Amino acid sequence: MNETIIKRLRSIVGYENVKTDYDEVERYSKDETSSVEPSLPSAVVFVTNAQQVSEVLKVANQHKIPVTPRGAGTGLSGGAIPTKGGIVLSLERMNHILELDLENMVVVVEPGVITDEIQKLAEEHGFFYAGDPASSESSSIGGNVAENAGGVKVLKYGPTAFHVLGLEVVLPTGEIVNFGGKMMKNVMGYDMIRLFIGSEGTLGIITKIILRLIPKPKYSAVLLTPFKDMETAISCVPKVLCESGILPTSIELMDRFSVEISSKFLNESIPQQDADCHLIFEIESLDRESLTRAYISLGEKLQQLGALEVYIADNRHQKMKIWKFRKAIAEGIIAFRPKHCMEDVSVPIKTIPKLIRSTYDIARKNHVEVLNFGHVGDGNVHVTFLKPETMSDELWKKAIHNCLIELYRVTADLNGTVSGEHGIGVKRKDYLDIFLTQVEIETMRKIKQALDPNNILNADKIFPDTSASVRQI
Amino acid sequence: MKILVLAKQVPDTDKVKIDPVTGTMIREGLDVVINPLDLHALELALCLKESHQALVTVLSMGPMSTETVLRDTLALGADRAILLTDSAFAGSDTWATSYTLSEAVKRLNIDYDLVICGEKATDGETGQVGVEFAILLNIPVITYVSKFISLHDDSIVVERTTEDAYERWKIKLPALISVLRSVSEPRLATLSGKKQALSRKVEIYSAKDLGLKADELGLSGSPTRVVKVYNTKLSRNCRIYMGKDLNQGVREVVKLLKNYKGSVQR
Ligand SMILES: Cc1cc2nc3c(=O)[nH]c(=O)nc-3n(C[C@H](O)[C@H](O)[C@H](O)COP(=O)(O)OP(=O)(O)OC[C@H]3O[C@@H](n4cnc5c(N)ncnc54)[C@H](O)[C@@H]3O)c2cc1C
Repeated sequence: MNETIIKRLRSIVGYENVKTDYDEVERYSKDETSSVEPSLPSAVVFVTNAQQVSEVLKVANQHKIPVTPRGAGTGLSGGAIPTKGGIVLSLERMNHILELDLENMVVVVEPGVITDEIQKLAEEHGFFYAGDPASSESSSIGGNVAENAGGVKVLKYGPTAFHVLGLEVVLPTGEIVNFGGKMMKNVMGYDMIRLFIGSEGTLGIITKIILRLIPKPKYSAVLLTPFKDMETAISCVPKVLCESGILPTSIELMDRFSVEISSKFLNESIPQQDADCHLIFEIESLDRESLTRAYISLGEKLQQLGALEVYIADNRHQKMKIWKFRKAIAEGIIAFRPKHCMEDVSVPIKTIPKLIRSTYDIARKNHVEVLNFGHVGDGNVHVTFLKPETMSDELWKKAIHNCLIELYRVTADLNGTVSGEHGIGVKRKDYLDIFLTQVEIETMRKIKQALDPNNILNADKIFPDTSASVRQI
Repeated sequence: MKILVLAKQVPDTDKVKIDPVTGTMIREGLDVVINPLDLHALELALCLKESHQALVTVLSMGPMSTETVLRDTLALGADRAILLTDSAFAGSDTWATSYTLSEAVKRLNIDYDLVICGEKATDGETGQVGVEFAILLNIPVITYVSKFISLHDDSIVVERTTEDAYERWKIKLPALISVLRSVSEPRLATLSGKKQALSRKVEIYSAKDLGLKADELGLSGSPTRVVKVYNTKLSRNCRIYMGKDLNQGVREVVKLLKNYKGSVQR
C-alpha cells in the first residue's frame, strides 16, 4: 500500500489512528484460531464512527485494497485474519453504549462494546441480555453479530440473532444503511438484518446495533452431574429434553479431558473430577419454590438416567464458579495445547450420541488425541483434535485434514452443519461443499457480488477457493 | 467432638452499596446468601465431621429470611441449625450481635468444643463478632487461620497467616478460630442433601424465648454507631512499555527488582 493511500487514510481518521509499524500491527495478524497462519496487514485503521468507516471503504474500493473488519479478535475461524494483507479495520474504539431505552426494552450500542458490559448494564437495571458466548468477557458485540455467536444460553434464548432488532451497516461500497429498529416485528421486504447477522464481515461493516432486553430471570440453579461413561451421559440429553417437561437454559458437556484442562488452567477442581464426563444443566424460575421443584424433578430424572450424583448450585457464587470452570476450557486448550483444531459441528439432538461416538474412532484411526465439550443441548459439540507431543508438524497437518473430512462427512450424514456458532472464515471454507451444493454456494456468492462488486471486504472468507481440491487426501 | 459454626446472612452481591445519608447498606432487591467466607468455616466443620464424627451446629442471628440460608447449611451436612430472630435484634452492632449470640449459647446450653467462623462478613467487613463472641464466652481465639493442621483430644493445631509470616499455633479446646478462604474448598449440595433439608427444621428463637432484655439488644444495646461512610480512592502509577520500548521496560523491571528490599522491613 503506497504512502499516498496511507496519507488519505490518515486524513480521514487522524494521523495516529493509522498504524503501519510492525510492532503495532503484528497483533492484528491473527485471532484465536490456532490452525490458521497469521498474516500481516499493511495498515491497521482505527475508526470511531460510521462516517469514517464509509470514507475508508470508499478509498479501499477506489484502489481495490482488501479490508478485514475486526472486533476483539477472539474469533475461532480466522475471520479477522487479514489473509490478503491490506487494511485491518478495527472497530475496537467504537465501544460506546449509545442508549439504554428501558421503556422500549432495548439497548443501542456501537460494535466494539464488550459483550459482558452489555450483560452487566442490563442486569444493573433488572434486565437481561441473553447473548452469552463463553468469550463474553473478551469478545465484542459486533463480532458476536458478525458471527451470530451462540454460547451457553442458546437452548432457551437462541443465538445472537434472536436478540438483534436493528442494525446500522456500512456497505462495502461506502453507503450507510439502517435496517430494523426498536420494534419487535418487521416484515418490510427481505429480512436484511438476518442477512447481515452471521455474514462474517463479508457483506458490510456493522456500526450500530439495537439489542433486545428481556426481564431478568429471577431465580436459577445449576446442576452439575458426573457420569461414569460418555455414552450414558449423552444419551440422556435428548431424553431430558423430550421427557422432563423442562426447557433448561443450557445443557453443557465436559469430557474428562476438558475437565482436566480447565482444572489445570484455573487451579480449581469440581466434584468427581475423574468421572468420564460431566453435564451441566441450568434452569430458571420465577420463585424459589418452583425452582426447587424443578431441580428436584430434573435431578431425579438424571439419576434415573444414570448420573453418578447430582450437585446443585443455587447461589450466585457457586453458579459462577461452575460457569467459570466450563468457560475456561477453550482458554485452557489455547494455553496448554496450542497445536489443536477446535471444531464446531452441530447436529439434530437425537443424533448427538452417534456424532460423539464417531469422534473417538476418527481420532484413533488418525493417531491424534480428541476431547469433546460444548453445547450438547443444542446438538453443538466442540470436538477438539489435539496434536500428540510426539507427532511431527507435517504428520499433524495431514492427520488433521483427514480427521476434519471424516468428522464433516459423519456430520453431513447426520444432517448437521459444519459450524454451529464459530463460522466458516478461512478455517472451514474449503470444506463447505461437503455440506452445500454448488447451486447453494453460488446463491450466497451472488449476494456477495451484488453488495461487494470489487470484492474488497473479507474477500477470501466463507467461499471455497475455486482452485482448491481438498478432497484429494 | 462438637463444632459450632457462626454464620451470617448477607446480600448476594459483589458491589455493596451504602446509603450516603444513613450510612447503612442498601439491601433492597438483593437476594440473600450465607456469607461466602462462612461457607469455608462450615466446610472445615463438615470435613472434621467426616474424619472425626463431629456434630456440627450452625448458629445465626438475622431476619426471618435467614431460615432459607440456614436450611442450605443443613443440605450441605450440618446436623443442627439455630436462628435467633426478633425485631428486638434489629440494628445490632458487633457488640450487641456477639452478646446475643453468646447468651444464646449459654441459655440454650449449646455444647461446643470448637467454634469456627469466617474471617469477616462480606457486607459489614468488620471481622469483630467472632472475637467478641469468644471473649464473652471466655475461650481463646486464633484469627486468620489459613490452614487446619490437626485435631487432638483436647487441642488443635492450626496455621494462621499474618502480613509477613505464617504462625503455627497449638491451642487448647474449647476455642474459636476465624478462618480464611484457603482453609477449605466449600462443597456443593447434592440433590439428596437438598431433598432431606426440605423436611428438616431450623430451630428458631426470639428474644423472649432466650429471656433477654430489650435494652441490651439491637440498636439500644449497641454502643457504637456508624457516623460516616465514604469511599477511599486507591490509585497506582502504571507505566506501560510495549512494542519498540519493550526492552527499555524489561530493564526498568530488572532495576526495580534489584533495588527491592521486600515488604517487610526488619
Ligand atoms: C475462549 C473462547 C471462547 C469462545 N466461546 C464462544 C462461544 O461460546 N460461542 C461462540 O459463538 N463463540 C465463541 N468464541 C468465538 C468468538 O469469541 C466469537 O466468534 C465472537 O463473536 C467473536 O467476536 P470478536 O469481537 O472477537 O470478533 P473478531 O474475531 O474480531 O471477528 C470475527 C468476525 O467478525 C467480523 N467482524 C467483527 N466485527 C465486525 C463488525 N463490526 N462488522 C462486520 N464484521 C465484523 C470479522 O471480520 C471476523 O470475520 C470463543 C472464543 C474464545 C477465544
